[in-house]
Amino acid sequence: MAGKTIRRLQELPSTHLLGTGTPMCAGCGGLEILHEIYDILGPKTVFTNAAGCMSLLSVYPYTPFRGSWLYTAMASAPAAAQGIRDALDILLEKKRIPPGDDLQVITLTGDGSAYGMGLSATSAAMDRNLDFIYLCYDNEGYGNTGQQYSSATPHAALTATSRTSHGYPGYKKDLFSIWAAHRPAYVATVIGAEPLDLAQKVEALQELQGPRLLIGLAPCPTGWGFDPSLTVKIGRLAVETGIWPLKEYRDDRTVHTRIVRHRKPVEEYLQLQDRFRHLFEPERNNREIALIQARIDQYWSKAIDADT
Amino acid sequence: MFRIRFHGRGGQGMKTASRILGTAFFLEGYEVQDAPRYGAERRGAPIFAYIRADRKPINERGIIAGPDLVVVADDSLVPLPAAGVLQGIREPTVILLKSCESGATWRQRLNIKNPIVTLPETGEAEDSAELRYIGAACAGAAAGVLGIISRESLAQAIQEELGRLGEAVLAKNRANALASFDAIKKSAAVNVTEGGSIPAQPYKRPAWIDLPFEDARISAPVIHAGLTSVEVRTGLWRTMAPVIDYSLCRGCWWVCSTFCPDGVISVRDNQPVIDYDHCKGCLVCVAQCPSHAIAAVPEKEEQARKKAVAGEAS
Ligand SMILES: Cc1ncc(C[n+]2csc(CCOP(=O)(O)OP(=O)(O)O)c2C)c(N)n1
Ligand code: SF4
Ligand code: SF4
Ligand code: SF4
Ligand SMILES: [Mg+2]
Repeated sequence: MAGKTIRRLQELPSTHLLGTGTPMCAGCGGLEILHEIYDILGPKTVFTNAAGCMSLLSVYPYTPFRGSWLYTAMASAPAAAQGIRDALDILLEKKRIPPGDDLQVITLTGDGSAYGMGLSATSAAMDRNLDFIYLCYDNEGYGNTGQQYSSATPHAALTATSRTSHGYPGYKKDLFSIWAAHRPAYVATVIGAEPLDLAQKVEALQELQGPRLLIGLAPCPTGWGFDPSLTVKIGRLAVETGIWPLKEYRDDRTVHTRIVRHRKPVEEYLQLQDRFRHLFEPERNNREIALIQARIDQYWSKAIDADT
Repeated sequence: MFRIRFHGRGGQGMKTASRILGTAFFLEGYEVQDAPRYGAERRGAPIFAYIRADRKPINERGIIAGPDLVVVADDSLVPLPAAGVLQGIREPTVILLKSCESGATWRQRLNIKNPIVTLPETGEAEDSAELRYIGAACAGAAAGVLGIISRESLAQAIQEELGRLGEAVLAKNRANALASFDAIKKSAAVNVTEGGSIPAQPYKRPAWIDLPFEDARISAPVIHAGLTSVEVRTGLWRTMAPVIDYSLCRGCWWVCSTFCPDGVISVRDNQPVIDYDHCKGCLVCVAQCPSHAIAAVPEKEEQARKKAVAGEAS
């Protein structure tokens, strides 16, 4: 698919490259992002995958990928990408593979790795200007082990680690800014529910070299507690309420790729998920809902100023 | 010792069911072991949970090979070899099945003599919001057939296990569990008998095959081909099937094909085609189709319909 420019929804691929029969949950928002991205990146790719839900994609003898895939410890997927990039470069240099056989090296991890355990390895990879693509599918918790909190968990979300019914007391870490502060070639946020925005970003990053990083919000029916049929609806609400800003960083500048003029109240997003149910039952917690809303409003009033 | 095995699909709350029943046993003064077992499988895939409960310390470990009671949350699992519902059942093993068909029908169908108690389905398959209450209902019914767990211990166990989910969820689970407890107590004339202890002496080692310690190039689990995952039929996870009405499909920009998380809808001859061998039944496509051209049909009905069509054709 590379090389073809996608401008309209009609031009999105309608046959898919990622294999079916994976062990991801029905309605997995992370798998939706991966299959949309894979359609554009194509089979000339090699993945390094930190432990998490997606490391179950390739369980011997099954794999949905058309190319190679390497399993790594939670903290070291970007380091594995370095090793593979170096090996490819050596092979190219010694002419043991023709330039046409070069591969794109992609690191695939959850938020537990990206925001936490693997952050140091990612930072170091950016320092070394590693030529790779990083995809973090962010389901806002340690999904594979039963949705314990991670530093991507949003305020008030109930996780398996919550001791009380008030949910996570902290706030979601701003990984986009942390990554962008390293001034890599490209950083963007995406979501499976906005496939055109996603496709255009993946096409844009393929034109670049160096570290190119994506964070995709991955609605997770199992960990967030909603009916699997709602994955896309919840993803779209995340954008429409402004809780998941779609943006990209390149050339020292951050631009929002979608600015919602009339943002929906965040409770429309929260209400559909069991992890936030305690904000509405047994009685409405107006204070917490207003706090979450205020943080979103504050983000956007700053963001719009900065963009223009 | 009571040995109980729960079978369900990920998302049907069997892990919760076993926790509730385990805690109820504990409140009755039993020693309890309670463990869910799931691996790479996810929501929709068959999962298991085990309980051992005894008045004496429990030294037995591992999976339960010979259960005294088998609890099945979803009767579509019974014919699935991967679910192993009937594995290791003995003559007195009681089977508790969530099904709208009778125990007699199931006994005949499976050609077994075991006592089979059925707990009627209450439309959970159609309304997936109800799915998460199946666990508590199954725990309640299991407590009912066991006969040694009081209504109070059951209610207390639900409080302990689900209290943090808030009063509304708790109340609904408690009501469901107690209702199935009462229904089973009233109707079922079966009793679960405790299995005896299993002595260690006659234990035969499995026929292990010793693998030599090989070089990583030989022993590492390397997959030498792409796309092998298609051999896994995740279509078996489905309880509801998406069915496209081609007279309503307007061949939009293939919304269904892009949004299907599993990528199982492809476009052929300008029509979207669902690969039912792999569709997991999440129903994202049903929710997203702008023309409302995709309907959600219970898998059982869809299978019956396909069988009928196949019959006509032959
Ligand atoms: C160093 C280390 N600690 C803990 C684990 C156990 N573990 C496996 S997957 C996982 C959760 C990872 O969370 P995330 O990166 O967000 O991916 P997700 O499971 O949500 O897809 C954990 C804690 C591990 N594999 N390695
Ligand atoms: S737990 Fe969530 S992220 Fe993991 S496979 Fe299931 S839906 Fe996907
Ligand atoms: S989304 Fe609906 S209208 Fe569009 S192609 Fe699919 S079935 Fe047809
Ligand atoms: S129900 Fe629809 S969206 Fe879900 S896996 Fe099946 S075809 Fe795909
Ligand atoms: Mg995660």
